[in-house]
Amino acid sequence: MTSVVEAVATHPNTEEPAAAPPPGRLARWAAARPDLVVAVPLLVVIVLVQAVNIGNFPTVSDDEGTYLAQAWAVQHEGALAHYSYWYDHPPLGWLQIAALSWIPALFDHGMNVVMQARVIMVPVTAASAALVYVVARRMDLPRWAAALAMVVFGLSPLSVTMQREIYLDNFAVPWMLAAFAFALSQRKHLWHHIAAGVCAGVSVLSKETMVITLPALVLAVWRGSDRSTRIFSMVGFAMSFLLLSFQYLLYAVLKGELFPGPDHNSLIGALQFQLGRGGSSGWLLQTGSVTNMTLHWWVVRDPVILAVGVAATLVALFVKRVREVAIASLLLVAVALRPGGYLPAMYVLQALPFFALCAAGVADATARQFLGGRVSRWLPQSRNVLAFGAVILAGLVAPHWEAGDETADTAYSNQEYSQASAWIKANVADRPHVRIVSDDAMWPDLVDQGFRPGLGAIWFYKVDLDPAVTRTLPHGWKDIDYVVSSSIIREDPNGLPTVRAAMQHSVVVARFGTGTQEIDILRVDKTGHTFHQQAGGGQ
Amino acid sequence: MISAFIVVCSLALFWVAVFTLWWMLHAWRTPETLAGTRFSAPDGAGALSFSLLVPARHEQEVLEHTVLRLLESTHTDYEVIVIVGHDDPDTAAVAHRLAAEHPRLVSVVTDHHEKKNKPKALNNALPSCRGDVVGVFDAEDQVHPELLAHVDHAFRDTRADVVQGGVQLINFHSSWYSLRNCLEYFFWFRSRLHLHAEKGFIPLGGNTVFVRTELLREYGGWDEACLAEDCDLGVRLSSQGKKVVVAYDSEMVTREETPDSVVSLFKQRTRWNQGFLQVYRKKDWKRLPSLRQRMLARYTLVTPFIQALSGLALLAGVVLAFVAQVPVAVALVSFSPLVPMAAMTAFEVVGLHDFGKQYQLRVRFSHYAKLLVGAPFYQLILAGAALRAVWRELRGRKDWELTRHVGAHLAES
Repeated sequence: MTSVVEAVATHPNTEEPAAAPPPGRLARWAAARPDLVVAVPLLVVIVLVQAVNIGNFPTVSDDEGTYLAQAWAVQHEGALAHYSYWYDHPPLGWLQIAALSWIPALFDHGMNVVMQARVIMVPVTAASAALVYVVARRMDLPRWAAALAMVVFGLSPLSVTMQREIYLDNFAVPWMLAAFAFALSQRKHLWHHIAAGVCAGVSVLSKETMVITLPALVLAVWRGSDRSTRIFSMVGFAMSFLLLSFQYLLYAVLKGELFPGPDHNSLIGALQFQLGRGGSSGWLLQTGSVTNMTLHWWVVRDPVILAVGVAATLVALFVKRVREVAIASLLLVAVALRPGGYLPAMYVLQALPFFALCAAGVADATARQFLGGRVSRWLPQSRNVLAFGAVILAGLVAPHWEAGDETADTAYSNQEYSQASAWIKANVADRPHVRIVSDDAMWPDLVDQGFRPGLGAIWFYKVDLDPAVTRTLPHGWKDIDYVVSSSIIREDPNGLPTVRAAMQHSVVVARFGTGTQEIDILRVDKTGHTFHQQAGGGQ
Repeated sequence: MISAFIVVCSLALFWVAVFTLWWMLHAWRTPETLAGTRFSAPDGAGALSFSLLVPARHEQEVLEHTVLRLLESTHTDYEVIVIVGHDDPDTAAVAHRLAAEHPRLVSVVTDHHEKKNKPKALNNALPSCRGDVVGVFDAEDQVHPELLAHVDHAFRDTRADVVQGGVQLINFHSSWYSLRNCLEYFFWFRSRLHLHAEKGFIPLGGNTVFVRTELLREYGGWDEACLAEDCDLGVRLSSQGKKVVVAYDSEMVTREETPDSVVSLFKQRTRWNQGFLQVYRKKDWKRLPSLRQRMLARYTLVTPFIQALSGLALLAGVVLAFVAQVPVAVALVSFSPLVPMAAMTAFEVVGLHDFGKQYQLRVRFSHYAKLLVGAPFYQLILAGAALRAVWRELRGRKDWELTRHVGAHLAES
C-alpha cells in the first residue's frame, strides 16, 4: 500500500521535466518502459506472497481434487473425466490444468498430489494480476491506479487464499481479463476484437458462470472500436465468441448427448440439474442460509475487498473511464444476490478483478477531484487532505491484510492429508486389487500409488450414484476394502447408503488430526459387525 | 489413418479460410487502414495529361453514354480513344459520330486483327496515345467526372507508377447471383486490392486502371496471348518493383453491371481463372524479391482452384467424419473449417449492409436471405468455372469469350 501513497503524492511532480545528468543505459531502458518499471516489482511481490506455502494453505478442497482428477483423465485416458463426463462444467478448465501439469513435476517434494499440483496456480495468478494492470491502463487509468488495482487484486487475503486453489474460476478469470484488454486495445484493431471474442469464449468454456460479465464486455468492445469500423468489430467479436462456444454444443451433438435420455448423460440434462439445484441454498443476506455461510466465509478472510468492492462498484457506474468493469461487477453482485440461487464458494473469484478495477477507478476519480477538480476549488489544502486520507486508509487496511497474508504463507492446513496418504502408501498392500473409497482430494494420490483408477480407487460420490460403478459392487459395501473418511465424505448431504454402510462396518486403522480436519482410514470388516453408530461420529 | 487424413485436410482448410478472411477484412482492420484506402482530396490544378482507352465490341447501345460521361470530366487535359473492330460497323458508326461531334477530344482507332481480344485492341491504340498517363475503361462503364482530377493528384502525391481506381458492380437487385457478384467486387476493390498494393504484388483490374505511358511502352503493353491481360500487367509491373496505388471512394468508383446470365458469369469466370492460370505459368511473379511476396502471388493466382477443391474437401471431410465413426475429437476438427466460413458469411452480411449504405441503395431483408441461400450455389458456379478453366487450358483452348452487357446499371442511376 505504501507505494500507492507515494505515487499519489509524487504524481503532480512527474509532469515537470527533471534537470538531471544524462541518464545511463539502464535508466534510458527504464524510462522507455515506465509501465514495466511500475508493474513488474509489484507482480514479483504478489507472486511471492501467493506462492509461499501454497501447498499447505488453505485446506485442500474436494473440487480441486475433482478437477485435477479430470485433468488426469485427459492426460492418461484421453477422456474428459475419470468417470463418465456428465457436462457438470465445460471442459476447457481442466484441459488447461492438464496442459500445465508438467510444472508440478519440477517441484516434486513428495507432498499430497493436490498440494503439489497447486504450483500451477502461480503462473495463472501472475497472468491475472498482470492483466488487471493492463486492463486498468487501457481504461485510461494512470499508472498508480493500475498498480493499486493489481495490488488489491493480488494481495487481498481472500485472493491469496482462493487464487491458490485449483478452481476453474481461476482459469476463467485471466481469459476474461484478456478479453477486456483486447476489447480496449488502443489500435482499435478488428482482429484484437476478434481475439476478445475468442478469449471470452475460452473463459466461458473454462467456467460457464463467467458468461454473466458478457454484456459488460460487449460494451467494452463498443467503446474500444472506432465508429467507421465498429460494425465489423462487433460482428467479429460476436462471431468468434459464438462459434467457439458452439463447439461445446457440437461436442454434445457428436456424442449424441445433447438431449436427456435413458442410459446416457446429456448437456441439457446437466443444465436442468444445475438450474434446479438452487432451491435450498437460500438468500445471500439471510442469516443461516447456505449462501449466507458462504458469504460469512469470504468475510472472515477479507471484509475489506468485499465492502470496498461493492461500494466502489456502485460509485464506478458513474465514472466514465471504468463504467464497463463496474457493469461487469454489478452483474456479478446482482446474480449473487438473487434469492434461492446456488452460490458456490469460488464464485467470488470472478468478481475480485472487477472489484479491484472499480476501486482503482474510484480512487483515480477521487484523486482527480482533489487535485484540480471540483473538490480542490472549495476545499483548501485538498492535496494534503487527500494524502492524509490515503495514509489513513492504507493504515487501516494494511495490518489486516498483512495478518491474513501471513497466515496464508505460514499455516499448515493439509498435514492430515499428507500423513494419511503416506500411511496408505506404507501400510496397504496389494494395491492393484484393493478397492478403496476416498474423496476427490485424496483420489489422485491413490492413483499415484498404484490403485486402479476408477474402480480400485473409487471416488465416494460414484459408489452410489454412478451405475457404471455400482454394477461392479454386487455385494454392496462388502466389496469395499477401505474408506478414507474425511469431512468431505462425512458431511456429504447425498445419503450414499453403500458408503455409509461400509463406514459402519469398519474399524479405524489410522486417525490423523481432529475436528473437521480429521481423516480416518477405515478398514471394512466383511464379517458384518457394526462398529460405528454413525459414520465418522466417534469411537 | 482416416482420422489423420481428416485432421490434416480440415486444418489445412481451416487455415485457408482464416487467411481468406484475414485478407477479405483488410480494409477494416483499423480505422487508419480504412481512411488510407480513400483518394486524398485533389489540389485543384491538374498537371498530367491523360489518354483514355475505351475498347468497344458490339456495344453500340452503351458506348455513347459512356463516352459522353467521360467528356463531363472536370480535368482539363485528356483525350478519349475509342477502339472498334473492323467487322463491327454498328459500334464503329457510334464511335465515328462521337469523334465528329468532339473533334479534339475523341478519336477512333480501328483494330484489324482477324481474331480479336481486349489486349490486342489496347496495344493497337497505344502508339496513338499522347497523354502522360494511359487509362483504360470498358464501354459500359460509368465514370465519375472528378475521377481524373483525383487520379492526377494520386500520381503526383504518391509518385505512383500505376493507380488503380475502384470498380463496383451496382445492379445487386437484378438476380441472386448479381447480388453475390456485386459483393465479391465490393470486398475485392474495397479491401483486398489494398492489401495487395501494400504487399507489392497486385493483379490489376480490367478498367479504371491508369499507367504511366512511357512505362507501358517500355514493357511492351498488354500480353495479347493472355486471357487476363489486366492481372498479367499488374503482376509484371509489381514484380519489377513498380509502385501501385489503389484508391476506393464510393463517390468516385466506376460503376459496372454484372454479366446478364448465369451462363455468361460462368464463361467470364472461366476466362479469368484460365487467365490467372496463364499468369501463374508465365512465372513473372517469381522475380518478386521476398519469399512472402512470392507466396502471396502463388496463393492469389491459384485461389480459384483452391476454392473449388476446398468446397469438395469440406463436404467430404464432414461426411467421412460421420460415416467412418472417428473419435469425437477428430469429428470436432473436421468441423473446424466451418468456423471461419461461418464468420465469413456474417461479414458478408455486414458487407452488404455497408454496400447499401455507401451507395444509398435499399437492401431489403430478402436480399440478405438471397445472400445466404445463394452462397453454396454461387460457390458451385465458381468451382465449375475453375474446373472448366483447367480443362480448357489443358486442351489448349485460349480464345476469348466476351461478356455481354445490356446496360442494367445505367437504368438504375
